[in-house]
Amino acid sequence: MRELLVLKNITKTYRGKPVLNDASFSLFSNQITALVGRNGSGKSTLLKIAGGIIKPDSGSIHRNEQMCNVGYVPEITPAVLPFTPVEYLMYMGKIRGMQKKELQERISDLLDIFGLQHVRNERMTGFSKGMKQKAAIMQAMLEETDMLILDEPLSGLDPGAQQEVEGLLVDLKGKGLSILLTCHETKLLEQAADRVLLIDDHRITETAGEKENEANVILFVIPSERAVDSLPSSAKIRQQTVLNTAEKQIELAVEKHDTNKTLEILLKNKASIQAVYPLRSSTDIQHYFQKRGGGV
Amino acid sequence: MRGLIHYQLLTYIRSYQYIPPLTMYILSLLINYAYTPNPILDSYSFTSLVLFFIMGWFTVTIFHAEDPGQKQITLFHAKSLSVYYAALFTVCLLAALVFSMISTVYPVMAGSFGIAVRSSHFILGFLAHFSLAVLAVSLSSLFTRELVKNKTNTWWGVLSILIGSVVVSALEKSIGWPVWLMPPLYLSLDMMSATDHIQKIPILFYGKFGWIFLYGLLCILLFSGAVKRKM
Repeated sequence: MRELLVLKNITKTYRGKPVLNDASFSLFSNQITALVGRNGSGKSTLLKIAGGIIKPDSGSIHRNEQMCNVGYVPEITPAVLPFTPVEYLMYMGKIRGMQKKELQERISDLLDIFGLQHVRNERMTGFSKGMKQKAAIMQAMLEETDMLILDEPLSGLDPGAQQEVEGLLVDLKGKGLSILLTCHETKLLEQAADRVLLIDDHRITETAGEKENEANVILFVIPSERAVDSLPSSAKIRQQTVLNTAEKQIELAVEKHDTNKTLEILLKNKASIQAVYPLRSSTDIQHYFQKRGGGV
Repeated sequence: MRGLIHYQLLTYIRSYQYIPPLTMYILSLLINYAYTPNPILDSYSFTSLVLFFIMGWFTVTIFHAEDPGQKQITLFHAKSLSVYYAALFTVCLLAALVFSMISTVYPVMAGSFGIAVRSSHFILGFLAHFSLAVLAVSLSSLFTRELVKNKTNTWWGVLSILIGSVVVSALEKSIGWPVWLMPPLYLSLDMMSATDHIQKIPILFYGKFGWIFLYGLLCILLFSGAVKRKM
């Protein structure tokens, strides 16, 4: 794991009001790092400074020499985009200074990765918010990107789209990207984030440890609650998502030591298991939020 | 930069926000030249004043056409505030150039004037339209969302500064030397009050048009400085 970016003693003020005060942290390759904190705590400003969009008043930023490109997805998903995905990405690439041929190849690859090939020539004005968010992430990856910065990527998305974007982020991490994001969704923090940085009083005050060390809860995603009878006592339904009138999706969390027993029961009940995730302890994440008065 | 200008132009065209000001502009030209014959410089003076207000309208809608979330993305790819705003101003100035040409050429093509149009009329007409259009773009940009958060304040601000510029031309003599600090719309109206029999454009006229363009440029620099400070 390489250290990609080191921010030290970052300070930023807007009109005399401190937004960041002596904030320091490092970012590593192949990691999803989440920045959590209250509204107005300086998360978005810190993201913009990490992405080189704005400059700090003081402090130092060291980039790894091998890190070439940073992609940025802002907090507000573009709502009105009067272009087709291909037109949109072509323009963003041209503005960036990319060559037409290189762009065409890259756009085709991205449309495949993000599953938007079938709507490549449709105007995005009719797209769902989830699809527009995908387009926003695609523009951030037009050039080979080492680090992706996303400001609240799940904000305003329905549960299905949230799950899709979340899966996409995990896939991108698997492809070697380092991801820095802010979010309010505890589920994303639990399932995808490798590190959680808490920003409070305009500085980084705490970091939650590596996910691998804390994966003491296993999450099973199954399609029906019929299969949850006679499960171990540690099993708890975390969330139920109504997919349509006939289908539901159940998220079942069990303690790690009950994993095999749960698996046996689910298979015996012929439950089709859709996904299994190791989780950072839910109570740990909640603890961070509650300790700060719930203001994440 | 070309890609950015093309993108901003297409964003504006596809936003359809140009329809109300364009309709007003076309109607004003048609109504003004509905009856013939018309005096040349007086007519040009009136249509340049109309274009002054219409360009204020165009400027605000051009600056506000891009989605706010998308604006952050475009800025990120443009890598420079100056490049981003230079593209927006270029789109505004292209519109100003096209409408100035149309306003000057249309009445000549339509045969709306009573006497033959000489090159001096044509040059004066074009300069009056284009200089006031540039002035309107630069003054209105100071009230766009880049510097004024509330949309209502944007429209009141633009309207006030444009009307204020016209009021200055009426009070020009009583204001005294501070008139040089005011938007120099009055200089164009003064020059355009010359007789249609003008043979040669006095050198002083070019100096006055030059000052209008320079005033516009100074407003754009002021805008640029204020935006950078705000970031």
